[in-house]
Amino acid sequence: MIKVSHVSHFYGEEQVLFDLSFEIKSGGFIFLSGESGSGKSTLLCILSTLLKPSSGELLIDGESVDKIKNLDYFRQSKVGFVFQFHYLINYLSVYENIALAALEDKKHNIQIILKKLGISELSTRYPNEISGGQRQRVALARALVNEPKIIFADEPTGSLDSKNSTIVYGLLAEASKNGTTVVVASHDMQIENYATKIIRLKDGQIL
Amino acid sequence: MISLKALRKNPFKSLLIFSSITIAVMAIFLISSVSQGVIGMYSKMIKTDGDIIITQKGISDTFFSNVDIGLIQKIDKLKSVASSYGMIVGASPIGHIPIAGIYGTTANHFSHYKLSKGEYPKDGEVILGANLAKQFATRSVNIGNKRFKISGIFSSEIGFEEGGVVMNIEDAGRLFNRSASFILVTTDLPNNTDSIVKEIALLDDEVEVKTTQNFVKEYNQFKIIENSSLVISTLAFAMGLMGIASVMSMIVNSRKEEFGIMRALGKSRFFIIKNLFFETLIMSVSAYLFALLLSLGILAMLPHVEMLQGYVNGTLSLSTAIYVLASTLFMALLGSLVPAWIASKTDPILLINQGCA
Ligand SMILES: Nc1ncnc2c1ncn2[C@@H]1O[C@H](COP(=O)(O)OP(=O)(O)O)[C@@H](O)[C@H]1O
Ligand SMILES: [Mg+2]
Repeated sequence: MIKVSHVSHFYGEEQVLFDLSFEIKSGGFIFLSGESGSGKSTLLCILSTLLKPSSGELLIDGESVDKIKNLDYFRQSKVGFVFQFHYLINYLSVYENIALAALEDKKHNIQIILKKLGISELSTRYPNEISGGQRQRVALARALVNEPKIIFADEPTGSLDSKNSTIVYGLLAEASKNGTTVVVASHDMQIENYATKIIRLKDGQIL
Repeated sequence: MISLKALRKNPFKSLLIFSSITIAVMAIFLISSVSQGVIGMYSKMIKTDGDIIITQKGISDTFFSNVDIGLIQKIDKLKSVASSYGMIVGASPIGHIPIAGIYGTTANHFSHYKLSKGEYPKDGEVILGANLAKQFATRSVNIGNKRFKISGIFSSEIGFEEGGVVMNIEDAGRLFNRSASFILVTTDLPNNTDSIVKEIALLDDEVEVKTTQNFVKEYNQFKIIENSSLVISTLAFAMGLMGIASVMSMIVNSRKEEFGIMRALGKSRFFIIKNLFFETLIMSVSAYLFALLLSLGILAMLPHVEMLQGYVNGTLSLSTAIYVLASTLFMALLGSLVPAWIASKTDPILLINQGCA
């Protein structure tokens, strides 16, 4: 489903990814592991079209990302994101944050997902009125609402305690069982238990 | 509506933009309307009281002009002249007031000043403007080195006249050492004054004769006030506008992360720009209206502020109001939409910043 060929990335003069080529097949729970600074986030951002690589090509379902005409629609309908920080919009309520991301014909999913993640009663609250674990669940609900083919998560439990981490991993694992491809970048080795495939990065290269 | 939510949830930022726009808009309104108002009053004083004005040749300022009052008799004999009066305009300390206007006039012009108390001045007497009168409880007052008896109090439509005194032109002539500052003539044919202007000019070659319309148009003092207020208000406005634009762009910059998130969620550039457009519009229009109301309020109060003795008056023209609205909107939108447009072209994750770092 995603094919990476000869991707390199520079921040200014500094090269952080070195000629990476690999493929991610549809389905499963992919774990992008590596020490802090190894280039996981950069790679994840490139995979998810949030960052254009300095060189190389990214093919999604056989089509080059550069050639996708409506990248906005592509991002909204095909891809979901969870970041280390929740990145909810502070002036919108929980419900409105999810509704902002939802496609018109997926709005009916909002209540179902809130319920599934156990946060229905929070729907009228604002991000600063709920806990860190709850925020991350809202972010996950936002990522799931359009039933994307693939979900990217960058250190999704980075700001959570172990109890909340386990809840979030459980939810991601469930999404992958339901057919969504899940790609998680993290230095947290706990994820190995859930992963169906592990990509190890070191200094911008795949081991 | 998402724009309203954004404004409501960030009250401090909203207040900051709101007040910076309000202050900038008020600055231009007040500066330009006060100068327009001062000019308006002075030209009204001259225009409503006559069709033709006679001043000393080569002296373009009514304060320094000196014309022979005897000219009035000759003018009154001309056909089509309805009436004429002489006037001396000066300024001097009056009692403990450091400076106030002095209007010396021929007796036939006294009725211009509505008596609210007492009677019109005889030789050695003055009447005080309503504002000035509040400063004096005495029966007489020192002007220059002479003492004048206060014979009454007057009111006037022209605000700054109420801050001065009116006396006989002969008394004023002794104070200011001249015969008359200018002579104003009212004709029977206000629409055809050109021939009378020429006739009067033939009577005395020391004088300059103009219609009051032309005089006001060409009066140097007005041009100076007008030009300097134009410069000051343009500068104030330009600074205000730049302030608006920079506050807007600062705020947009501080919201880059939010735009990055929206882009990552698949919201289009258009969506972001559109919401920001409405936010800016709501903000600047409401701040503008607030500033307009405040300015109108202040302008309405100005003539009643005792300290200003009616010298400062203001009128706000519709064209100024529209011009200011248009430029405020333009700068606010420029300040918010340009950085937003640039931001919206950046890779979303670089906007979110920490994402890859
Ligand atoms: N926006 C950025 N600008 C400059 N350098 C960056 C930026 N983001 C990341 N880097 C650098 O790129 C390297 C890889 O970072 P990152 O992809 O965040 O790794 P990881 O997620 O594995 O910690 C690091 O050396 C980091 O300092
Ligand atoms: Mg990282």
